Amino acid sequence: MIGAGIKRGTAELAILSVLEESPLHGYEMARRIEEQTKGALRFTLAALYPMLYRMEQRGWIRGAWETSPSGRRKRCYRLTPAGKKKLSPLRKEWAELFGALKRLTKVAHA
Amino acid sequence: MPDWQKFVQVQLAGLALSAGAKADVVDELAGHLEEVYEGHRRQGMAEALAAQQAMRQVTDWNALQRHIRNAKEGEDLMHNRVRRLWFPGFLTLTLSTGLLPMLLKFGLQPQLVPWSGPDTILFYVPWLLTLPLLSALGAYISLRAGGSARAILFSGIFPMLSLAACFFVILPLSFELDRSIAFHLTPAGFLGLLLSWVVTPGAALLIGALPIEILYTRKMHSQRVPGV
Repeated sequence: MIGAGIKRGTAELAILSVLEESPLHGYEMARRIEEQTKGALRFTLAALYPMLYRMEQRGWIRGAWETSPSGRRKRCYRLTPAGKKKLSPLRKEWAELFGALKRLTKVAHA
Repeated sequence: MPDWQKFVQVQLAGLALSAGAKADVVDELAGHLEEVYEGHRRQGMAEALAAQQAMRQVTDWNALQRHIRNAKEGEDLMHNRVRRLWFPGFLTLTLSTGLLPMLLKFGLQPQLVPWSGPDTILFYVPWLLTLPLLSALGAYISLRAGGSARAILFSGIFPMLSLAACFFVILPLSFELDRSIAFHLTPAGFLGLLLSWVVTPGAALLIGALPIEILYTRKMHSQRVPGV
């Protein structure tokens, strides 16, 4: 199980990554992240929305109301060009961090 | 099925965002809880248990309110204070103080009421009658900008607070600087001035701002329905 601090740090990357695949609304986003990380990352409503609103304020994502075929109004989030730009250095940073941790733990086990 | 819309409205009653932004947050969060609930129901969970599980998505609604507010307007906090408090407050002050000289120019005469000894109290009745409207305008602008009950009231009665500050800070200071004023102004005269320029206009302003503040409080209260 991944600790809370790491989860907070990776949350932005997770959201930007799933939104890169397709625009999503909050619930679907949480479900997809949980599925793709095999339950390692789980977003409750309380964790997800403040994060989405903050990212929207920063201009990384943009939310717009849409009506689903069932007639339900949902706020769908899309990645903005600024969000796309942010995603690649974020990926690099986390890849470097996890690579470093991997090497460290291997050394520790050796 | 629980009424998620009302449930979220109750929990986020104190969320200090503009009416439109708050309604959007309530809609979005209610929709999320509804989907969590329906997801559990599809898995065969009993209604009550599914509702309970959905509610577990948030353990501390007050903290969530704070986080949402900070996220939505963290960098914009100063701007919102201006929109909700200072702009409507100064608008009420400018209009109310600007109107009096205009009315005087058009021949407004004060109503003189005998006070103590040679002192009289001045009442500019037509001006006083406009104050509730101006105060209501300031309070309404604050309400529309998402002001809290306190900000709404403050915006409406801001001219009274400014006048009171003049009386209790600037006047005593000028007494100190020029003792001849103090010599001419008796305590009864000071009280009369206070009545003319602070208490009566303040009451008129309060008459305008209070209904808006009550409207806001009732609106908040009407959203407080028993939990689902």
